[in-house]
Amino acid sequence: MALSIDDDASTDYKFSPQKTSHQISKLEVVEMAIEALWSNKLRSGLTMLGVIIGIGSVISLTSIGQGIQKSTEDSIRALGTDVLQVMAGSAESGGISQGQGSITTLTWEDAQAIAAQSPSATVVSAYLQRNTQVVYGENNISTTVYGTDLSHPDARNTFPAQGRFFTQEELDTSASVVVIAPTVQENLFSANVDPLGQKIRIQGEIYDIIGIMESKGAQGPLDRDDAVYIPLTTMSARIIGNNSLMGVSVNGIYVKGQDESQLETVKFQVENILRLRHNIASPEDDDFRITNQADILETLSTVLGLLTTLIVAIAGISLVVGGIGIANIMLVSVVERTREIGIRKALGATDRDVLSQFLTESVIISVIGGGIGIVTGVGITFIAAIAFNFPFVVSNSAVIIGFVLSSATGLVAGVIPARNASKLDPIVALRSD
Amino acid sequence: MIKMENITKRYQLGDSNVLILKGIDLEIGSGEYVSIMGMSGSGKSTLMNIIGCLDRPTSGIYHLDGRDLTTLEKDQLAYIRNQKIGFVFQQFNLLPRATALENVMLPMIYAGVPKAERRHRAEVALTQVGLSDRLANRPSQLSGGQQQRVAIARALVNQPTLLLADEPTGALDIRTSEEVMTLFHDLNQQNITIVLITHETAVAAQAQRQVRIQDGLVMH
Repeated sequence: MALSIDDDASTDYKFSPQKTSHQISKLEVVEMAIEALWSNKLRSGLTMLGVIIGIGSVISLTSIGQGIQKSTEDSIRALGTDVLQVMAGSAESGGISQGQGSITTLTWEDAQAIAAQSPSATVVSAYLQRNTQVVYGENNISTTVYGTDLSHPDARNTFPAQGRFFTQEELDTSASVVVIAPTVQENLFSANVDPLGQKIRIQGEIYDIIGIMESKGAQGPLDRDDAVYIPLTTMSARIIGNNSLMGVSVNGIYVKGQDESQLETVKFQVENILRLRHNIASPEDDDFRITNQADILETLSTVLGLLTTLIVAIAGISLVVGGIGIANIMLVSVVERTREIGIRKALGATDRDVLSQFLTESVIISVIGGGIGIVTGVGITFIAAIAFNFPFVVSNSAVIIGFVLSSATGLVAGVIPARNASKLDPIVALRSD
Repeated sequence: MIKMENITKRYQLGDSNVLILKGIDLEIGSGEYVSIMGMSGSGKSTLMNIIGCLDRPTSGIYHLDGRDLTTLEKDQLAYIRNQKIGFVFQQFNLLPRATALENVMLPMIYAGVPKAERRHRAEVALTQVGLSDRLANRPSQLSGGQQQRVAIARALVNQPTLLLADEPTGALDIRTSEEVMTLFHDLNQQNITIVLITHETAVAAQAQRQVRIQDGLVMH
């Protein structure tokens, strides 16, 4: 098809009527589009920015949402989904919901009875808790003190990383020993001090540090590392004071089954044991409440899933705004470039040539903007994951949907102005200023 | 070369239907240098658009280079513009963001000329009009006369049979106008057919033959 330089008027004289136009190669069109985009960097850049922000926000928000959801689920799962938590106090009393653990009708004896009588319960652990101050030398911090028994590590799936947990003897004798968790160690001791063997004061009493728990991960308000553990008997006698006629009162009891599938059975047995012990005739009069981590996990997942969907919907709006941005700039660009279109047509460009040039321009903007947007989105997610300490997850579907949507927006936003441009009459186009 | 028989052109302007060209008969031979003169509103621009295949006549016969163009499709007209006609406009009509070289290469893109050859031919054409040292300049970095010479190089680069110039000196001062007219004269010497549309008698006088258009008709 290409004309050689020797072609002159006389040899071209008898061109056939079928031969109507030269086909420009795809590569040529792409080159031409890139040149046109490059020659107006500001316009191209702004258009691309719309796509980048759209895709970047879809990907980062979706991925951050999923990361947070995963991290929350993981931390709940770390609490153990095979554990039931029995809390003192009824779920509802006279139509008024009671704060969990606000009434200490549960006792250590209840826990011992469950351990003895429930065939399906494998681990039972009672605890008392109180937020109070812990002092080491000049340092003074506020933390949660747990008074608990020997089953606690098994029930909560958390074990000492250094030193040891307290012994049966220490529990029986209300010994003044304490096991601290990592956040407390960090806040109370400088890095060069080994806390093991040191003495700390809790409400004026001196305790020997015998162990440091492993880290279970800090999850905002759910920081399981911000705690110290002392024997339940010590806690009851020295910090809370034995305040129940029925024995050592506790805030809650953890009951572990063989595995998750056993939890319903365990729950049934625990309910019956406690009702018998508390002389409760009707379930409505229950003075305890049993919660299940698996149920909490399910509820939370649903809520977080909804939140993620909402976030994605908001991100989707920015994608649409990005698309409108492309459409707008493409439209303005066609108007602005009417004269250019006229010149190109006068020089032999067909409608199709002009259409493919403008279309290619918008496709290039969408694809490059999409690529940069994906990188930006993943980058933001990565930085956020490090900064806010949640797992770095990139949502593949968000990447794919974001890219497809941006390309589609780019195309749709490009097609209409491009069609208008290609249909322009060369005379009209040339006359415009 | 150009043969027009009873060409008419009718425009719908609002409610009224205006007959701009009322039956033009015109014949221009190969290698001729013809000026078409007329007042504004005489229909000479419409005639130029039809000669340049930018517009189609309402009726009549138009042969260019032995071929009847009145029945051609849009794309076929684009092809004729690309291959047979070189345009020189009053406002130069260069792409403002492209260099002189890129502007001259433009028609060859649509002609399907390979890239390396395009560049070579554009350089040759720009050298012909005396701009070999301005290849990388953008139109805004060139004087009016230089811009018009870039436009002429662009018009010639596909070796058209017809150079169609619409008020080519309209935006130029006297000295650069003379340069451009000299260039036209030289090109005509190389046997290129030139049709010059103007309203200036002095410019028209440079051509071998003057055709006067008045009120949509050729004056004899």
